[in-house]
Amino acid sequence: MIRKALLALPVALAFGVTAHADHMQENPVNILLGLIQKVDSPYLTQSEQNIMMMEDNPALWIVEDGKELFYQPRGPNNVSLESCDFGQGPGVLEAAYAKMPRYFEDTGRVMDLEARLVHCMMTIQGFPADDPAVRQRHGNESDHMKLQSYIASYSNGVPWDPPMDHPLEKAMRDAGEYIFFRRAGSLDMSCQTCHSATGQRIRASVLPNSSFQEEWTKAISWPAFRVGHDHVRSSQHRIRGCYWQMRQAGPIPGSDGTIALISYWTDLARGQPAILPDMKR
Amino acid sequence: MIAMNHSRRAAGFAALAAAVLIVGGCAAPESAETDGKVDYTKMSAEELGEYLVMQSGSWDLKQEVQEGGTARERMTQDELQKVCSEARNQPSPEQAGQIIADARASITYPEGGIQLGDWRRGQDLSWGGFGFRIAHNPDDHSRRDPSGNCYNCHAMSPDRVGGTLGPSLTAYGKQRGNNEATRRFVWEMMYNPHAYFPCSNMPRMGAKGLLSHEAMMDIMAYVLHPDSPVNQ
Repeated sequence: MIRKALLALPVALAFGVTAHADHMQENPVNILLGLIQKVDSPYLTQSEQNIMMMEDNPALWIVEDGKELFYQPRGPNNVSLESCDFGQGPGVLEAAYAKMPRYFEDTGRVMDLEARLVHCMMTIQGFPADDPAVRQRHGNESDHMKLQSYIASYSNGVPWDPPMDHPLEKAMRDAGEYIFFRRAGSLDMSCQTCHSATGQRIRASVLPNSSFQEEWTKAISWPAFRVGHDHVRSSQHRIRGCYWQMRQAGPIPGSDGTIALISYWTDLARGQPAILPDMKR
Repeated sequence: MIAMNHSRRAAGFAALAAAVLIVGGCAAPESAETDGKVDYTKMSAEELGEYLVMQSGSWDLKQEVQEGGTARERMTQDELQKVCSEARNQPSPEQAGQIIADARASITYPEGGIQLGDWRRGQDLSWGGFGFRIAHNPDDHSRRDPSGNCYNCHAMSPDRVGGTLGPSLTAYGKQRGNNEATRRFVWEMMYNPHAYFPCSNMPRMGAKGLLSHEAMMDIMAYVLHPDSPVNQ
């Protein structure tokens, strides 16, 4: 029933992103509706209301805020982020996020978007690590969520394609897989406990299956506006929440362990279009 | 099997130690991670995974936890967690036999026998999701007793939404009655489900000390008592 109603939507929404983000060719909800047309997924269709609201996703305003921040000369060095290389060359944002995490020659590390942004804010703009611009990672008002949302929006509709050419990229992905299945903590849980079957629920919440690519691409499409939080959230925020609920230790943002997990989960969605920014329950 | 597991891990760490090499240059800005000593590409996925979790500073292992000790102990796998992770929850018959035997040996019983407690308290405990959370928002057990999280995975009373990771327990007591054998089974399943389902996804509520005997008897009452909403 829900699916049938949703399939009527693309026609209405086909005219692009309302009054926002002129670099975005398509409203992210159209990417989602394309997937819903293709597969039967209780996860993708769990909230008809969210899909209806998604055309006017509050995250699209955060993208706009991020655009302003990105080109503004800031920090002790009073320069913009335009020379930051997210893997496609300095200042090139098109499809850059869909190809992360990736290895960066200049740091010798595999980095996710957040770690790379921290690197550029510190090395290019000269922000110290304890400056709120660098330190504050969560919430609509944080520079991080604005900038991450803006940069990621250039990968809306782009198939996930994290490179596996460098041996470190492969090593991190494989370690991420190991960690994904590693049961520990008070509840003996791992990521796999909740993300290995289709249509299962924790209470009312439908869980995404990590081996069902069309629904997994939405699951990993962060930044996303979380309706229940009233904030745009990041990949790192998702990891923090899952580990908290599993009663395991708190993950450190930017750490290799968290980046390994993101490398693995992005690899699982390879080839499926990213939905950026997304809206989640 | 267990001995083999230990020796394999020991070999893993020896390889890790051998893989140590010095990399020049400065450490990345926010990094315990690239400590410049370990070559990730020379390690197996398991070695690197273990290194990242337990040694790289990727998780805050120093935080104190409610049961005493630190998060390091939480993240250190016990034998069951290790075997089930490695087998991706499909243990071999030999492993399964050992898991069942260990689980059975872990179970203790209430002194006055397995009796039903207060189903109303059991209702709150089954619904609640409080307890043992740490990290950025730790649960303070002095303010409230930890609850059972049962509804996260199980349908129970039809008037509340429960999860579907575990089987539905709606009308469980109505179907099975409330005799000694049923009470014993429910107790043992809650205490350590691996006694019946090796590498089950269900937490070991008793064996891990997550619920007191009293709390477990209250939850049992919620599942089995004829007056409980679960059985209407």
